Amino acid sequence: MRLRDLLRELPIPEQEEARRRSHAVVRAAFAEREPTPRRRHYLKPALALVAVAAVAAAAASPPGRAVLGSLRKTVAGEKRAAPELFSLPTGGRLLVSSSRGPWIVQANGSRRLLGTYREAAWSPHGKFVVASRADEVVAVTPKGDVHWTVPRPRVRFARWGGNRVDTRVAYLSGRRLHMVAGDGTGDVDLCGEPAAAPVAPEWRPPGLPHVLAYADAKGRVYVLDADRCSLMWRSARFAHPRALRWSDDGRRLLLVTRDELVAFGARARPLAVRPLRDVTDATFRPGSHELALARGGEVLALSADRLHAAPRRLFRVTGRIGQIAWSPNGRWLLVTWPAADQFLFVHGRRIRAVSGITRQFGGGGFPSLGGWCCSSQSG
Amino acid sequence: MPGASRHERAWVRGARAGRAADVEALFRHHWPLAYRAAYLVVHDAAAAEDIAQEAFLAALRALDRFDRRRPFGPWLHRIVVNRAIDWARARTLRAEISDDGTIERAAARERAGSGDSDARALAAGLAALSPEHRAVIVLRHLLEYTPGEIAELLELPRGTVNSRLRRGLDALRKAVGEELI
Repeated sequence: MRLRDLLRELPIPEQEEARRRSHAVVRAAFAEREPTPRRRHYLKPALALVAVAAVAAAAASPPGRAVLGSLRKTVAGEKRAAPELFSLPTGGRLLVSSSRGPWIVQANGSRRLLGTYREAAWSPHGKFVVASRADEVVAVTPKGDVHWTVPRPRVRFARWGGNRVDTRVAYLSGRRLHMVAGDGTGDVDLCGEPAAAPVAPEWRPPGLPHVLAYADAKGRVYVLDADRCSLMWRSARFAHPRALRWSDDGRRLLLVTRDELVAFGARARPLAVRPLRDVTDATFRPGSHELALARGGEVLALSADRLHAAPRRLFRVTGRIGQIAWSPNGRWLLVTWPAADQFLFVHGRRIRAVSGITRQFGGGGFPSLGGWCCSSQSG
Repeated sequence: MPGASRHERAWVRGARAGRAADVEALFRHHWPLAYRAAYLVVHDAAAAEDIAQEAFLAALRALDRFDRRRPFGPWLHRIVVNRAIDWARARTLRAEISDDGTIERAAARERAGSGDSDARALAAGLAALSPEHRAVIVLRHLLEYTPGEIAELLELPRGTVNSRLRRGLDALRKAVGEELI
């Protein structure tokens, strides 16, 4: 009891000031949160998605092909797909990059073209977007105002990380990994690390310290404390890396390669390596280690903590799926379907299909997703 | 871990329905210990504030997936302590000085009565431990979880928790004195 009392009474500096600041932040964040409207939404999304998996499984069997056909027709939207993206099914804002540039889609469906940039990604709290031109990194506000620019050759894969007050942008210039502060200052070739593979670097959530994962040209994953240029760990080689993804608690890192999935914890030795060919996109469901994977025309569910378990099929379409993204509240999964020129919003058995996507984002080719971000410009 | 109290279930239910007053109640009830736990692991006031705040925000974001029958505290403490360990490990990897001394300075400011020297001794003893050892001591003796519960919270084997507790307390005894522990 003596130790307990001492620990409870040990003076902690600035406790009251910290409490006041945190209270204000928590209160503001909660005010922006979308309340749970109906009891059935209390169901875990995973359980709800099992229902879709059951439909998909039935559809895969020979007698079920008619069901699949029916489902496909429904989502193909011959009659039921919305002709316009009138609204998002839940809160947040979508970032969509088309041949005309990146667009922000608000929850009410309104769209704004940010400018003539190529790919784009959100800042951690949706206050800015980092976009790129061939030879320039550009930070813009959601209204399209240019915040800063950094000219560098052959810019790709700009990604913004950090917390509300201290952020960094990592990007590739050619094959070199660069980092610039969130105010556009101090651009550096990051730590002189080896040349990078054509894979987007990813900042570890939830913010500080600024920890970055990237894959080098030999397929090794590096996790760096970017501010200190200190290597936290480096993995063995994995051929043909395609994507890196952090869980939002920062405790799992997934490497997607052409032939396998690799889950890392806090060190270089993988927690698990699972052969699974042709996964083209992967995303952690917010607040969990559950993964959604795009593979051919399927969306699969798998836990990064049980990578060797049999994946569940959540969804299947004819042709190939493009990208997938969870809504910020983890309830809806957005699946892009270039062959049908559609976005599919999937929640349990509910599917909201929206057709004419290429036209809606200016024509010229099916657009790519830059992310489904937080509900408002909260910081 | 015990189930959630009636009040807590009501607060979580209310928070999920969007009632700010219930979030306030959860914050009032849980933030002080969350902040204290984070601070005792990381020994950095600014980091502890960030950790406790981000943990609370993460918990709020995930409220819809939270099982209301379970207590909110362990859920929050799991996030806080794991993030605090991560932060402290990262700081070690950055080869910074392991402690900024704020905890000792704070203890020194509170010179009042005989408890003062005990607090200073404990602060110094804690600062000498690794973050992993601090974490299990904080979970066991501040937050009062059983070793089995700590193993579950930290996703560690129970034997590892027990050995960290034993070694941590042994080191504290050397620094603080047998009578305090």
